[in-house]
Amino acid sequence: MEKSIETIWKDGFLKSDTLLAPKLNNLYNQKSKHIIEKFNRMFRRNLIALVLGSTLFLIFAIFFDMLILGIGTFIICNAIVIVNKRLMNSLKKVDKNVSSYQYLKAFDSWMKDQLAVNRKMARIYYPLFFMIAVVSIWFSGNFQVFISEILGKPHQIYLVNGFPIFWMLPIILIASLMAIFGDKIYNFDVNLIYGRIFKRLNDMIADIEELRK
Amino acid sequence: MSSDFYTNSIVPYSGIIIKICRAYTDSQEDFEDYYQEVCLQVWRTKDQFRRESKWSTWVYRLSLNICLTMIKKKSNNRQHTVTDYVVPEATEDNHAFSDESLNLLYDAIKQLSEIDRAVILLYLEERPYKEIGEIIGTSHNNIAVRITRIKERLKKILN
Repeated sequence: MEKSIETIWKDGFLKSDTLLAPKLNNLYNQKSKHIIEKFNRMFRRNLIALVLGSTLFLIFAIFFDMLILGIGTFIICNAIVIVNKRLMNSLKKVDKNVSSYQYLKAFDSWMKDQLAVNRKMARIYYPLFFMIAVVSIWFSGNFQVFISEILGKPHQIYLVNGFPIFWMLPIILIASLMAIFGDKIYNFDVNLIYGRIFKRLNDMIADIEELRK
Repeated sequence: MSSDFYTNSIVPYSGIIIKICRAYTDSQEDFEDYYQEVCLQVWRTKDQFRRESKWSTWVYRLSLNICLTMIKKKSNNRQHTVTDYVVPEATEDNHAFSDESLNLLYDAIKQLSEIDRAVILLYLEERPYKEIGEIIGTSHNNIAVRITRIKERLKKILN
């Protein structure tokens, strides 16, 4: 006689080997691998985007007479890429044949070092980029026409050797603020892109630490 | 996760967690992944349990939700990364149990929609229609009709 599905179910699970639960000691094995792989993919993709973006911008800048801005942006972006590529190579040295916890901790420590290097760089490249943008605008043909028109007429602008020195004050102020708060701006930038991954990584480490208690 | 919590609050329900995870996965690796995720989430969300239902209902509901979420996530990833994905066939490799009839029943259950799978698993676990309704979010009358339909479909597949 044909068995009903209820009987198949009951009889099937009577055997002792059918309900063996997987061990829980490797709870985060897969998850830690996934999250690190995901970060690496995103990181690599962003570096490629920086190279492509700065190259396209350079071409665009050549066409639109903003050569200084184009070259400056290209050099800054590619310097960031070279430094981060080197940092990424050092990630390969992290031993994968350890427990998930040790692997995540090693990755976390690499990440902190990497962020610290980038924060330092940000305090240089944000103001540098701003200054390059200002200089580029200053020397652009249209701005020079505009300036000579203003300075050619009667004006109350204070000039030192024909240079409107007070105009430089807000620019220097902004660049200085960028140098001071460059690390904060970088943190904001990074959190926009990698914030979710960082949160998951921290949650995972916190979970494992609690599980280890 | 303290061993007390695992022993008292998860182990008595590990059977149903295993049965549910098996119904939503095609490989041992996925099964272990889903099972571990369920255990973790049960542990993580233990403080959100407000005793409005039985702990077992909470565990069933969580297990189903996690399996459904993971299956969705997986199919999304697949859509993004692999264009020529082939639905895995029922082979001996992904047969988890030594009982052949049970393996065939599982293969048949896997052919059902995700919600029907949940309904029939809870029915086979002899959960009352009211509780199944609560977990799935529908009336117990609807569950009764649905179960009759699912059983007919399973019989057809098995025959």
